[in-house]
Amino acid sequence: MDLKDIKAIIDLMKKNSITEFELEEKDSKLRLKRGLNGGSPVVQQADDSGSMISMPVSATPMLAPAPAVAVVVNTGEIDIKSPMIGTFYRSPSPEAGPYCEPGTEVNVDSVVCIIEAMKVMNEIKSEVKGVITQLLVENGKPVEFGQPLFKVRPT
Amino acid sequence: MFEKVLVANRGEIAVRIIRACKELNIRTVAVYSEIDANSMHVQMADEAICIGKAASSESYLRIDRIISAAEVADVDAIHPGYGFLSENAHFAEVCESCNIRFIGPSPRAMNALSDKAVSRALAKKAGVETPPGSEGIVENEKDALANAKRIGYPVMIKAVAGGGGRGMRIAHNDISLVKGFHTARTEAEKCFGNAGVYIEKFIENPHHIEIQILGDNKGKIIHLGERDCSVQRRNQKLIEESPSPLLENKFRKLRDKIGKAAIRIAEAARYTNAGTVEFIVDDAGNYYFLEVNKRIQVEHPVTEEVTGIDLVRAQIEIAMGEPLRYSQSDIVMKGHAIECRINAEDPFDDFRPSPGRIEMYYQPGGHGVRMETHAYAGYTIPPTYDSMIGKLIVTGKDRREAMDRMNRALNEYLITGVKTTISFQQAIMQDPNFRRGVYSTNFVEQLLGGARRELIEEKT
Repeated sequence: MDLKDIKAIIDLMKKNSITEFELEEKDSKLRLKRGLNGGSPVVQQADDSGSMISMPVSATPMLAPAPAVAVVVNTGEIDIKSPMIGTFYRSPSPEAGPYCEPGTEVNVDSVVCIIEAMKVMNEIKSEVKGVITQLLVENGKPVEFGQPLFKVRPT
Repeated sequence: MFEKVLVANRGEIAVRIIRACKELNIRTVAVYSEIDANSMHVQMADEAICIGKAASSESYLRIDRIISAAEVADVDAIHPGYGFLSENAHFAEVCESCNIRFIGPSPRAMNALSDKAVSRALAKKAGVETPPGSEGIVENEKDALANAKRIGYPVMIKAVAGGGGRGMRIAHNDISLVKGFHTARTEAEKCFGNAGVYIEKFIENPHHIEIQILGDNKGKIIHLGERDCSVQRRNQKLIEESPSPLLENKFRKLRDKIGKAAIRIAEAARYTNAGTVEFIVDDAGNYYFLEVNKRIQVEHPVTEEVTGIDLVRAQIEIAMGEPLRYSQSDIVMKGHAIECRINAEDPFDDFRPSPGRIEMYYQPGGHGVRMETHAYAGYTIPPTYDSMIGKLIVTGKDRREAMDRMNRALNEYLITGVKTTISFQQAIMQDPNFRRGVYSTNFVEQLLGGARRELIEEKT
């Protein structure tokens, strides 16, 4: 069960107005609960060691603004933000593999992506030592100044 | 035909440009700094791209970021507004090389009028008088003294690269000349990166009269009459009106003469798009060329109201390659328009800037009243840019009606949460000399010097 699957389930829940969802598999259990007046959903995922990991999942905003009902667990992640305006690319070239994935360890100087502006390919450095936990922008999409690109858990 | 235009500016002028684009069915892209995220121009545009931190040097002045945004949004043209990069020939060149149309004069025309000394030389060639002054930059003290003697005191020492009223000093004798020469050079170096200064005759009781021009890409240039901007404080304009009471009351024939002089200068520079040619007129009706403002100006609505022509729309049409749809004979000035700039400043505390959150906001309306603003109730005026809240423009069938209507409108205008210059504008509008149309650029200093505080009612 990875993030993409969880996001897909949350979308389905929203579309069908389901507020609670529980799935038990051989080595893991997933429970999703949506706030009744539309707060951010909370993901509780038990891994096979039996411990509960709660992660906040940022959902698309509901139409009616409402107080957040969910519990947001601070995981200590920080954002790598875009220092410029341009187009975001995950790899140095279309044929090459991506610079990083969720799970990649990075140092302060590690290149995490390319932002292309005015035909110049700018290598963007992580600026933080840690582990990439989330990729926030799709390959080839435009980004603006200050836009979060990755989530990193610092080490 | 442009499909998309990027507005490289903020505040009220960005709103103005977006409106003109919408009326032409052109999609708009706003750029904004982080502190401007809630600004009106960001909300009004079809798309918005954040280009940096609050400081202008990190955002609105960043050519690279603006061009990146223009490319990412795939725009056809950029409108630079006024201030910021609007008169930056290098920016215009970069736009051209990136195949993005710059809505303004060509880089070549900008360079032909690059600084004041160069512009004066061009004006001379076009047969237009400039204030008696030094031929070009004054290099040293000895030169300065010789020039001042030839011109005759009082003189003004001005920075060649100066603008917005900065880098100027007045001297009435040799001692103040030498002192002023050195301090002006130091200030010019600090503000504009260019220490060059020239010397000009200082005209007592000068009237600031400027001519609006429009030129298409085929070389046709027309003028749209004058604006009188003599009501200034520390060289910052407060009130502008059209037609000029000085020309209407005393020198009717000057409008045509000055208008033609403005066109000759524009033609000599091969000027295109919108611009303003500034003149100084003395009490005897002598007029002298000052400089050309190579952009749309803050006070353009005043001309729009008396001529009925949308100048920002004209700018966009000219940039799209359309020929000017008006001839000189089509330009008729009807009625009288006055603009009051409303700033977030405290007139009771030496006009100290008063940024902050606007709590209540009710702007005037009614027949003949036009507001150009980005402000709204709940908007926080950031401290990082100019203090202008908006422009109140009023039109009447004659000057008397316009002034009375402006009084009525200023009385209705309600802004709480920040200090504003509304009450100060009211004091000017009710001043007997202003009402008679007898004023020069000394007007505000004289008013402030003698004003009794109870004449200025504070709005709560």
